[in-house]
Amino acid sequence: MKYYLKLGFILLLIGAIASGVLALINSYTEPIIENNKLKTEEEARSLVLPQAEIFEKKSIAMERAESKPDPLKIQKETSGSNEFVFYIGKNNQQEIVGYTFVAKKYGYSSTIETMVGVNPDLSVNKIKIINQAETPGLGANCEEESFTSQFSQLTKAELQVDKDGGQIQSLTGATISSRAITNSIKEGLNNIETALNNQNKKEVAE
Amino acid sequence: MELIGRIFALAIATIFVHNFVLARFLGLCPYIGVSKKLDSALGMGMAVIFVMTLASTFTWLIQTFVLVPLGLEFLQTIAFILTIASLVQLVEMVIQKTAPALYKALGVYLPLITTNCAVLGVAILNINEELNFIGAILNGLFAGLGFTLVLVLMAGIRERLDKAEVPASMKGMPIAMIVAGSMALAFLGFSGLNI
Amino acid sequence: MKLTKEFSKGLIKENPVFVMALGLCPTLAVTTSVQNAIGMGMAATFVLVFSNIFVSLVKNFIPEKIRIPSYIVIIASFVTIVDLTMNAFLPEIHKSLGLFIPLIVVNCIILGRAEAFASKNNTISSIFDGLGMGLGFTLALIVIGGIRELLGAGQFFGMNVMSAGYKPILIAILAPGAFLVMGLLMGLMNLTKRK
Repeated sequence: MKYYLKLGFILLLIGAIASGVLALINSYTEPIIENNKLKTEEEARSLVLPQAEIFEKKSIAMERAESKPDPLKIQKETSGSNEFVFYIGKNNQQEIVGYTFVAKKYGYSSTIETMVGVNPDLSVNKIKIINQAETPGLGANCEEESFTSQFSQLTKAELQVDKDGGQIQSLTGATISSRAITNSIKEGLNNIETALNNQNKKEVAE
Repeated sequence: MELIGRIFALAIATIFVHNFVLARFLGLCPYIGVSKKLDSALGMGMAVIFVMTLASTFTWLIQTFVLVPLGLEFLQTIAFILTIASLVQLVEMVIQKTAPALYKALGVYLPLITTNCAVLGVAILNINEELNFIGAILNGLFAGLGFTLVLVLMAGIRERLDKAEVPASMKGMPIAMIVAGSMALAFLGFSGLNI
Repeated sequence: MKLTKEFSKGLIKENPVFVMALGLCPTLAVTTSVQNAIGMGMAATFVLVFSNIFVSLVKNFIPEKIRIPSYIVIIASFVTIVDLTMNAFLPEIHKSLGLFIPLIVVNCIILGRAEAFASKNNTISSIFDGLGMGLGFTLALIVIGGIRELLGAGQFFGMNVMSAGYKPILIAILAPGAFLVMGLLMGLMNLTKRK
């Protein structure tokens, strides 16, 4: 009995030392990781909307999302998930030169996140894929300029991949990834449109 | 009804489209190592299904009720591998006591499962893909089934391969790899399934 | 003299991938490009060297019965350290290696060396053994990654090296290509050894 207690104690000791060291390292790396993420987003934001000097964060409550919740996935708290965040880009004369938002959708094997720059007339200015882990050689090619440049100047109605009758050429062998990106951008544009309409209505009412 | 449809979709996706061995490259060591005989492949497969389902259950509970509330997500790797190792040990002891016949069939494979990366892989994937409790258990089960399917198929092919004329330098591992490549090619066909 | 032997044996003669066929999962999964191969190789080498050092240091204090769990905790700690630091300083590579960083824990090479070498030898030899095995692993990854990237994308280390008219053989970069390239390379190794 005593022997087993000793064994347990040694294992516990090793575990405790390991956890302590890892906690220390984690407290050091965590802010860096957080910072990296913010920096990538900031850089992508100025890349997709270069004419803007300042970005103003806006978040609006959305009506219930159209897609039904997945019964096999963790349901997020209702307060957070129905929020849509976008940024208003202004030049140094405080004129609105466009908007940016992050479009997210599950592609083939990962959630693809796209930073989208939007012109004031709600057509796409430029996009940049900021996060994806799709199949190398197929879906992962979505980061390439030849794919992303297709989106420039397209309006909401034109955003459709060729398989669905639109003009965006899907990546070879990766229709699912292409479709996820296209549709996520479309949904985001919809959201911005609703948000701006609501704002106008409010201003008229006031 | 919708739930059943989703479960079916998850089964197809995990067993065929994102097959753990052929598309995700998880569990290759037992796939190549234990696929020489059909009955040992079946035994290994059964043991893996069992452990993967249990491991998915327990690691999900630990992540949700211990690591996340305490803000200890960085201990995930250690916590999960220790859970799996103790689980395998426990299963081994329980089976040995309660079902000696089953132990005789599965016993030799159980210790090998601790270092099967498919088990730790499914535990981490459950968390990364934000599956809920039921989703995680089912994902573990289907992942195990997918593993067993290709393991048994492989064993079937390799039993016949013994009688085939293979160039001397390709015998054994190399030809097994080529066979695996052909199987992966076939499974690539499932990737077009839109579910 | 002895130390150089401990170091060099892992490179070719006892190469963990080609000769001992260990650690197949990461070998096939992350070798879609040379950059990934180097990232994975370095991460594994780091874990291998430090777990070898610690195992050889504490081997006399750890009772036989809890040897394996203790080694697993030591290895898992270093894997987590690599995971966190890569995420902080090399976020791009961290993202493309993804799941396979935490899975270094169950890489048979590392537990295998801890068990077979570091638990029986002194610290200095263990360092050299870990370095040799780690670099042998990295070397194998670079060879496979290089071939797959060259054939499948017409690039080497992200640079275009094929002529403009080259049409990439996409299959080499997809899952089946990993198995096929691996099988052919192993066959080639056997062929040269027989001569």
